[in-house]
Amino acid sequence: MESFLFTVFAVTACGGAVAVVLSQHVVRMAFWLVISLGSTAGLFFLLNADFVGAAQLLIYVGGTVVLLIFGVMLTASGPYLKISGSPGELLQASVVGLAFLSILIFSVLRIDWDEHFAKLEQAAGPSFFERPTYRPASEGATVRGLGAALLGTRFDRDLGTGDDELSTGYLLPFEIISVHLLVVLVGAAYLARAKRKVTRSEE
Amino acid sequence: MSPEEYLTVGTSLKWLLGIAWLLPLIGFAIEIFGGYWGTRHSKTAAWMAVGCIGAGFLCSAAALVTWGDATDWGALAVAEADHGEDHGDEHGDHAHEAGDGHEHHDHAGGEGHAHDDDHHHDDAAAGHDHDAEHHEQHANDPFAYAFSGTYYRLATFGRLSIAIDYYIDGLTLVMFVMVTLIATCIHVFAVGYMSDELTDDYEDHFVHLPGGRHFHRPGRFYRFFAFLSLFSFSMLGLVLAGNIFQVFVFWELVGVCSYLLIGFYVERHSASTAANKAFIMNRVGDFGFLIGLMILWTWFGTFQFADVTPGSEGPPGLFQMVRDSQGQLALADEGDSVLLHDGHGRFMATDDGQPRSIPYFLLVAAGLGIFAGCIGKSAQFPLQTWLPDAMEGPTPVSALVHSATMVAAGVYLAGRFYPLFTPEVLLTIAYIGCITLFLGATIAVVVTDIKRVLAYSTISQLGYMMLALGVGGWLAGLFHLVTHAFFKSLMFLCSGSVIHGCHHEQEMTKMGGLRTKMPITAYTMLIGVIAICGLAIPGTTLAFSGFYSKDAIVASGLTFMALNAEHLLLFLVPLITAGITAFYMFRLWFMTFTGPPRDEHIYEHAHESPWIMTAPLLVLSVFAAGVAWGGGESGPLAGLILSSEPAHVGPGLPEAGQIGLNLPGHGDIHQYHHTAGTAALIAAFAGLIISFVFYCSRSVDPETVRRQFSGLHAFLVEKWQFDRLYDVAFVHPVHVVASWCQAFDRKVLDGILHGASHLTVAVARWDRLFDEAVVDRLVNIVGSVTFGVGSSLRHIQTGRLRQYVMFIALGVVSLFILVFAFFPR
Amino acid sequence: MEQQIGLNGYLAVGAVLFVCGVICMATKRNAVGVLMGVELVLNGANVNFLAFSRFGTLGLDGQAAALFVIVLAAAEAAVALAIVLSFYNNHQTIDVDRATQLKG
Repeated sequence: MESFLFTVFAVTACGGAVAVVLSQHVVRMAFWLVISLGSTAGLFFLLNADFVGAAQLLIYVGGTVVLLIFGVMLTASGPYLKISGSPGELLQASVVGLAFLSILIFSVLRIDWDEHFAKLEQAAGPSFFERPTYRPASEGATVRGLGAALLGTRFDRDLGTGDDELSTGYLLPFEIISVHLLVVLVGAAYLARAKRKVTRSEE
Repeated sequence: MSPEEYLTVGTSLKWLLGIAWLLPLIGFAIEIFGGYWGTRHSKTAAWMAVGCIGAGFLCSAAALVTWGDATDWGALAVAEADHGEDHGDEHGDHAHEAGDGHEHHDHAGGEGHAHDDDHHHDDAAAGHDHDAEHHEQHANDPFAYAFSGTYYRLATFGRLSIAIDYYIDGLTLVMFVMVTLIATCIHVFAVGYMSDELTDDYEDHFVHLPGGRHFHRPGRFYRFFAFLSLFSFSMLGLVLAGNIFQVFVFWELVGVCSYLLIGFYVERHSASTAANKAFIMNRVGDFGFLIGLMILWTWFGTFQFADVTPGSEGPPGLFQMVRDSQGQLALADEGDSVLLHDGHGRFMATDDGQPRSIPYFLLVAAGLGIFAGCIGKSAQFPLQTWLPDAMEGPTPVSALVHSATMVAAGVYLAGRFYPLFTPEVLLTIAYIGCITLFLGATIAVVVTDIKRVLAYSTISQLGYMMLALGVGGWLAGLFHLVTHAFFKSLMFLCSGSVIHGCHHEQEMTKMGGLRTKMPITAYTMLIGVIAICGLAIPGTTLAFSGFYSKDAIVASGLTFMALNAEHLLLFLVPLITAGITAFYMFRLWFMTFTGPPRDEHIYEHAHESPWIMTAPLLVLSVFAAGVAWGGGESGPLAGLILSSEPAHVGPGLPEAGQIGLNLPGHGDIHQYHHTAGTAALIAAFAGLIISFVFYCSRSVDPETVRRQFSGLHAFLVEKWQFDRLYDVAFVHPVHVVASWCQAFDRKVLDGILHGASHLTVAVARWDRLFDEAVVDRLVNIVGSVTFGVGSSLRHIQTGRLRQYVMFIALGVVSLFILVFAFFPR
Repeated sequence: MEQQIGLNGYLAVGAVLFVCGVICMATKRNAVGVLMGVELVLNGANVNFLAFSRFGTLGLDGQAAALFVIVLAAAEAAVALAIVLSFYNNHQTIDVDRATQLKG
């Protein structure tokens, strides 16, 4: 079952991405992007990352793409809906892309993951999902763990292992990102303010 | 005299004479910087100068009285008592006189040399006649009446000590009084004589500008008196000096003042040339002076004359080192070296116990060196040509500087430095003096400028003084110095009065008969002329001062000839020249003041000078006549000078020096005195009569005689061709050498410099080319290459976003390929 | 073995998404299209993170990282759109080929 779902989601995601590349109409591009991002969210659920998958759907599909649509609406009306490049460029781009892809696949396939992870487990201990002490309700129930990690406590590492040191969580990045978001939004609002028909001297 | 008394008297003398000496310097400083006091019509500078020198005279007179009191007028009292006596006595009772002598010179300090004055009589007794009462005085102990010391020590360089010393004895005081008195009279005279400088616009008739105009300049009245004050200071400093180096310093200073004063009318070519000539010829003599100084310093180690302070253990001075208390030289090595005394009766020793000595020939050389300076300063042969030219200066200058004082400085130094002169040096001095006196007198016979006559007369009389010093008549020479100063300065001032009255006419050929127009001048001049001729009324003691002094000189000459028969010229020449002197002096007087006037215009406008100019004439004529009052050598003046006589002069010395000269002593001179006096008087009267015949009664026409002796006359008028000789021998070669040096400088040295500069310019030019072609080009290439690379790289930045992304992707791909292809695991 | 295939499969998907995003950035002339390419790239990276989180040793760290990526991507999209809007205001076009003022 899982592999079937994986196949479906994978094909959809890749197909959507390719469609984004190939389509010329910007709104259609946005549609295919939505398809692709949704499939990716499905992939996330398959990977036991329930919260991240949900966040993907919320933020990406529900927020970012809408934002993009709005941007398209504001700017690309009329003659800018379809701007196409030359075929030569497309060929060139596809060649480069295929080369890139082949390199990536090639490098991935060449690695012996078992051996690699065995080595890592020897060094760092069993992975999260094989730790004896932490037993989430289901494998995908990561909300509590993520939340606690974001606030600085790492259940998956520190409880019951008898370590002398406590691991730091992601409290600092969390705070930074919060401020970062605020700054970004302020900046974006400032950048995008309406300045049509305003002369140079008044800026 | 006890040491305390000595110190007190010494201090007061030191300060009195120090003030007299320094006042003119202060005067000079104020006058030269005070300038013309706001207006060039002000005589303040002159009165200040008169005041300074007058005060100096008073101080000198006070000093003379102080000294006389302290030393009971030294030689004066006893010499007077002596003079009438017969000098054939023995002196066997010296022994008991010694006791009295000791009391007289009792120094509580117990200085050896001061007590030895009587002892030397015992030593010199053999063969010499001495009167019993002569023993204390007659200059057997000059140091008993001398006060020496130091004003201020300037610097000490190892063994050499440079200090301002003083040496005050009878001779110093006589010189001081004489110089200040004559200077005062001349300063007063000059106030009147130089009064035409009291203007803002002085027209100098002797300076001709192109176009025939005369030169105009502001008056320089104050400057004249500033220079006169400076000269007075220098002369008094020279007389006061206690070491030979200080003498040299002031020697040069009087030379400088003489230069400034001769060249007072500096715009006149003749005057400035004459000033140069005077200074340069003096310098030639000073070269010898310096050699003498160097020898003295090397062998004696000190410049001081003597250390005579009782109770002091100071180092001995030059006089004490050379001769012992009796004035004898201590010879060693068969006369090849002279041992040095230490002033306390023993010989000086070197570090290893040997007695210090100086080779005899070096002592002779030192004496000749110092005398060379005297030759230059006192215008002796061969350096006499500057003195007549020095008459370019104003007449007061001629009177003060070139007759009475500066030229006398040479004679004074020869007299002062007498103990260091060996008999060889003395003989040289005598012969030079002899030549000089004849030279001066013969030229004076033919010159017609009134001042030139007096100048040559001065040369001649200075020759007399040197001759006297050379033949052992120490007193005679210095006595004549003093009397000559008075009557020569009197005569110069009278001539100045004549010149002033005749409106600056100096040629006697244009004068005549001025006796009626200027009586005071004429008769004071007559007094001077009689004094210089040495006339006296035979059989009486009625004579002017010149008689006594010239008498003494001729007597010394005669005695010398008697003792050394081969030197008969040293008597005959002065005798004949005495006659020539009388001749030309009366010629001057007759031509100027008697007879019909030769130029009516001048005679019309001639007038007597104002009282400010004639009063000094009267004062000086009194002294010219009577300064030797008291009978010459027994008078007060001679006594004063005699108290400073070096100890070896009085008794004389047979077979002296390496040439075996017989030097006469006082007794010897006395023997021949009468003969000499008579001979001199006859010669003088002969000269007077011949002059009368030629110029007064006109029985013989001088013109005819001149034509007869035209060759001789031309030779004499050309001053014995000395000027031309020196021109050819010295001046011309110097010019030639100078032109060579100039050519060398211009062609070689300048050539080198120009070459160097051209080379530098060429190098600079090449350097510039190199800089521009190579260095600049290199830098430009670097810049242009960079620019080219930059501008070609610029095109990479197309600004196109998609291309950037494509490049990123391409880059990643290629990097991957590189890594996997070339660095496989 | 299924794990391996599973991991490789997810990594392949991530690779495809990533490459598509790069090509989209490189070829689209519309500025918004370029932004879509950026979103695709970030998604591919997220897939990669989560694959290793599940199959590898990352554990919760991978998921936390993916979360951060999502947040940052949103922020970046906002800013980028603001820039595009500003660009549009000034030049009245969103054709990236016109944005060559930084041309050297």
